[in-house]
Amino acid sequence: MNAKLQSLLARALIVILMGVTLLPFLSMFSAALAPSGTYPYGLQWPSDPQWINFVKAFEVANMGQLLLSSTLIVVGVVPVSVLVSTMAGYGLAKLTSDKYKWLYLIFVAGLTLPFEAVITPLYYEVRALGLLNTRFAIILPLIGLYMPFSVYWMRAHFLNVPKDLTEAAQLDGATRWGEFWRVQVPLARPAIMSLSILLFLWTWNQFLLPVVLVRDPMQRTMAGALGAFQGQWGTDVPLLCAGSLMILAPTIILFLLFQRQFVAALMQGAVKG
Amino acid sequence: MAGLELKDIRKSYGNVEVIKGVDLSIAHGEFVVFVGPSGCGKSTLLRMIAGLEDITGGDIHIGDRLVNDVEPRDRGVAMVFQSYALYPHMTVYDNVGFALKLAKTDKQVRDKKIREVAQVLQMEELLDRKPAQLSGGQRQRVAIGRAIVREPEVFLFDEPLSNLDAALRVDMRMELSRLHADLGATMIYVTHDQVEAMTLADKIVVLDNGIVQQIGSPLELYNRPANLFVAGFIGSPKMNILPVDVLETAENTITIAGTTIEKTTLPCASASIQAGSGLTLGLRPQAFVADPEGVLKGKVELVERLGHETIIRIRLKDETTVTAALVGQSDLEPGDMASLGFKPEEAHLFNASGERI
Repeated sequence: MNAKLQSLLARALIVILMGVTLLPFLSMFSAALAPSGTYPYGLQWPSDPQWINFVKAFEVANMGQLLLSSTLIVVGVVPVSVLVSTMAGYGLAKLTSDKYKWLYLIFVAGLTLPFEAVITPLYYEVRALGLLNTRFAIILPLIGLYMPFSVYWMRAHFLNVPKDLTEAAQLDGATRWGEFWRVQVPLARPAIMSLSILLFLWTWNQFLLPVVLVRDPMQRTMAGALGAFQGQWGTDVPLLCAGSLMILAPTIILFLLFQRQFVAALMQGAVKG
Repeated sequence: MAGLELKDIRKSYGNVEVIKGVDLSIAHGEFVVFVGPSGCGKSTLLRMIAGLEDITGGDIHIGDRLVNDVEPRDRGVAMVFQSYALYPHMTVYDNVGFALKLAKTDKQVRDKKIREVAQVLQMEELLDRKPAQLSGGQRQRVAIGRAIVREPEVFLFDEPLSNLDAALRVDMRMELSRLHADLGATMIYVTHDQVEAMTLADKIVVLDNGIVQQIGSPLELYNRPANLFVAGFIGSPKMNILPVDVLETAENTITIAGTTIEKTTLPCASASIQAGSGLTLGLRPQAFVADPEGVLKGKVELVERLGHETIIRIRLKDETTVTAALVGQSDLEPGDMASLGFKPEEAHLFNASGERI
């Protein structure tokens, strides 16, 4: 096979793959434009596109309030998780000897824990704390649940920072704390950035936790609110599709804005397991 | 500025002792080079002085101060790392000024000092660049600048030139020499390259297996190596080592011969040598002369013509080889028979345990 044909084949495969990826979105989009209350028939461009469905969905689902709620939850989860895991990752990578390896193993063990397995005890714990039906019922457990991965991620980064830099900073007169803030954190920026993006995505798309721990849809994440939305408008498929697309929009916008960092984050995952 | 005193310094990792009791005194302003093969403990020793490595036993004094339990930042030492260890996210200016910034030095004073250092190291035009935009030699300069700007009592260098190409290494070596002369500071330098050691040092400390083999000036080490290890390590090409037997001893001379070397008489003042005992004869390649009446005979295997000298390798009759550096240009060819003599006063003799006689 000559090179030109090979490259053509590769391109064709990519186009097919792209089509497969985009198909659900397109189908959702076409359904969202169908007349409210009807049952759209797969991928089919409606004869009379109902753009008003988006406005309706926005109003009915109180999308503005949901956006605010999601943002509040993200703001509550991501910075704290990143800060704590960066410090823990640094500590585990640079400050502990082999004697304390078990500390790290506890975090790794957390990675094996399926999310769904802890949801029932979590419910009782959150209830005991008196946080049920508040946003903290989502924020605090999420911070905890993200720790194993985040610490693992940051530790992997810090392990790769040459020991010489730490020693040079020590000789230059830096305390551990000074070295962490002035040398390690600036160098960890790519890792922190990619971790932030991943945590944002996971928090934004969080569904199970909000549905179980928070009754009021307005206190949930957007994706979590989708559950209530579906219950209320279960029969109105076009409206549901319009709502879903709007919930997706912020992540898509973010993706377009931070495309490069997204790819870097995924690549990093590929290399570091 | 200050001198340095090491007393019975030891270091163990678990049951493995890597530094086995080093005593060393370094005067203020001295340039001392730790040299030895990989794994001999020279870098560990340097890192112990810096405070980056705990010591298992002994005392380290910098100036009059016992620094065993003093943090690296409070020891008054600056170190240049083999990897340069520049902060990649900072410009050269910030890299050099980092220590001053941490010490909360006034901004104007800091700026002045950074620029002074940049001038000394001829890197003023590099100040705005990041380390990634610098060549190896430039990075090395910045690393040295970062050390100088702190005006430390002692400079520590951990194989600073080993990542540079040969030509640059020679340049940087000269620059370090000049810097030492200008600053008059105490400098400790670790290398496995004996040429660096010979050219830079006031005093060389030869280490092997965590033990100091010999301390002395470069020429002392070259002319009077304390043992076979030092004899083999210092000098290039390496010293030739030949087993010999003592035939007879007289006052101030002994007569020796071996399977590969004919009977010859050497000056030797040692009274403890008995006729019939075995010794080791060390001959530097430069000690040889082409001499038809010479005591070593063999077949020429390799000829390297360097212009000012000719290096030849000859295979003796017991299959051992000897390297000779003959002055000037020789017309020997591989396959020829060569006969070599040597100046008796340039012969080194070692006893059965490898110590110099």
